[in-house]
Amino acid sequence: MKTIREINERIKKGDAVVLTAEEMIEVVEEMGPEGAAKEVDVVTTGTFGAMCSSGVFLNFGHADPPIKMMKTYLNGVEAYSGLAAVDAYLGAAQPNSDDDIDINYGGAHVIEDLVAGKEVRLVAEGYTTDCYPRKKVSTTITLDDVNQAILVNPRNCYQTYAAATNSREEKIYTYMGTLLPEYSNINYSGAGQLNPLQNDYNRERKTFNTIGIGTKIFLGGGIGYVIGEGTQHDPDKAFGTLMVKGDLKTMSPKFLRAATIPNYGCTLYIGIGIPIPVLNEEVAKACAVRDEDIEVPILDYGVPRRDRPVVARTNYKELRKGEVTIEIYDSDLGRVVEKTVKTASVSSYKKSREVAEELKKWILNGEFTLSEPVAPLGRGSCKPMKAEAKLVRDILSRPPIVAKQNISIEEAARILTEKNINHLPIVDEEGRLIGIVTSWDIARAVAQNINSISEIMTRHVISSTLDEPIDVVARKMSRYDISGVPVIDKSGKVVGIVTAEDLSKLLGYRKF
Amino acid sequence: MKKRIYYWVYEKYIDKPVISKVILETKVMINILMAKMRPQESFLILELSGSEKQIEEALDLLEKYGEYEDIPKIIEKNRERCIDCGACVVHCPVKAIYQDEDYSIVFKEEECIGCKNCAKICPLKAIKVFDI
Ligand code: SF4
Ligand code: SF4
Repeated sequence: MKTIREINERIKKGDAVVLTAEEMIEVVEEMGPEGAAKEVDVVTTGTFGAMCSSGVFLNFGHADPPIKMMKTYLNGVEAYSGLAAVDAYLGAAQPNSDDDIDINYGGAHVIEDLVAGKEVRLVAEGYTTDCYPRKKVSTTITLDDVNQAILVNPRNCYQTYAAATNSREEKIYTYMGTLLPEYSNINYSGAGQLNPLQNDYNRERKTFNTIGIGTKIFLGGGIGYVIGEGTQHDPDKAFGTLMVKGDLKTMSPKFLRAATIPNYGCTLYIGIGIPIPVLNEEVAKACAVRDEDIEVPILDYGVPRRDRPVVARTNYKELRKGEVTIEIYDSDLGRVVEKTVKTASVSSYKKSREVAEELKKWILNGEFTLSEPVAPLGRGSCKPMKAEAKLVRDILSRPPIVAKQNISIEEAARILTEKNINHLPIVDEEGRLIGIVTSWDIARAVAQNINSISEIMTRHVISSTLDEPIDVVARKMSRYDISGVPVIDKSGKVVGIVTAEDLSKLLGYRKF
Repeated sequence: MKKRIYYWVYEKYIDKPVISKVILETKVMINILMAKMRPQESFLILELSGSEKQIEEALDLLEKYGEYEDIPKIIEKNRERCIDCGACVVHCPVKAIYQDEDYSIVFKEEECIGCKNCAKICPLKAIKVFDI
């Protein structure tokens, strides 16, 4: 019906009709997709969220005498420089090399500081050659001093993202933010009806209508391009992603922001806006997608596995209302109960709107014309890693050494020394776990003249099951600062114990 | 409405039940956020809640027995840094943070009790908490 060339002519003349994706919803509702396609030329979309898979290629120019940079640090954050002499790639999620600073100032923060025009300390070391005699360089640079600073993000602009909640009895820190215990909050991410890929998704064909390789976009306040489908792109499952690039020198801190997700890592928030040329009815129809049309599963991040259980299904409209009612199994009551849970966004809808509005302004002013993609996005792939999970059942060898509550402190001490162990699970008549005693507890009992096991044993025991991956057990040990975790079966019977020693042999962890 | 004040009781009234008197006479609700009692000095941080008139009366009465000063801000949101995501909202124990209709995140600074939850979880480090 319309071509991009025709639309660009109208943009240049100042006659183009440009709407944001939010405004387009109403127009399609009123006029139908056919009418809307005639009336509207461009729909602008926007998203503003945490995009960890981002980074910048930097070229520093040559020093005199020249150096082949192999280890490169910017304000203490390492950039990968296994490239040509003075090229490096700084990833947004890279923590600081100083452990005390760690994720509070990482790659994303360096990128934001560069964009904000701040000075950044560059320190690099290399091996020397006849052509690169210099070993070390240490200097201060700004964005103006580097030849190129090209943002190249392997995976941005997710079409949608599952929401997160937590079934555990403890607070957990995830890339979806801080999740309170026992389903007390749901965190979600995504611009929903404003998201670029949602508005371009052809639900029948499971492909994207207009976005392809070479599509010109709004990226971090500057101009960028889609260079292909992103990593883990999976259009069949309505989970498209994009790989994008843009010149960092044209971007602004208003639309590019460093962040630290507490106890998780650092990341970069980026604003991305994509113009969708309303070429025909089909395109117009896709642009009418509403928050309520986009299903969002709520996953239990309390389960530290790749395939997290789906707790409930909702949509962006419900999530944006601030609370969602879900059904959960209450183990105390032994039945399913309803629970109304507060929702919180970790991306910004307000900023997503600003992106779409800004891009609309650019087009209306004639500053931004649309590009013809040179090829469609690839089919992508999002399959799991070929890596086996070692489970607790694979490493348990000896039968468990356990004891009843009524033994004396001396007997407990004798068992620990004779068997050369440090942890003694305490069980009831049926062999079910009720507590644990360590050699440290015994020492304390002796020092303080305590005579009964029940007084010294820990009752709230951190335990594991046969099907738990050993990495998860290792994580429990470091989180709770313990060195032995009893393994129980479904009925609560102790079937073994995993100790820090077992794991350090297997995983090569240095400390727990 | 709510109002927060610093309050110093005059030395001669230190052994008198000043706060109870104010509560009884004005029916204002008083939440004592902090109290430092010494033989020569009594300093309190109070949160008064009630109607505007009640609070006015309570303040008049409190002035008879001591001196008060409005509490400056406990928290401050850095407008430039905040991206209005809303991740902080659910972590506020007193509902002092809410999302406006246009998706802006608004802090009711006068209701904040300075727990710092929001500052701890904010990924953008956009919230500054002043110690009281
Ligand atoms: S978490 Fe921080 S950035 Fe997000 S709305 Fe709250 S103050 Fe603003
Ligand atoms: S400091 Fe605590 S009370 Fe104050 S706004 Fe933040 S979360 Fe609410």
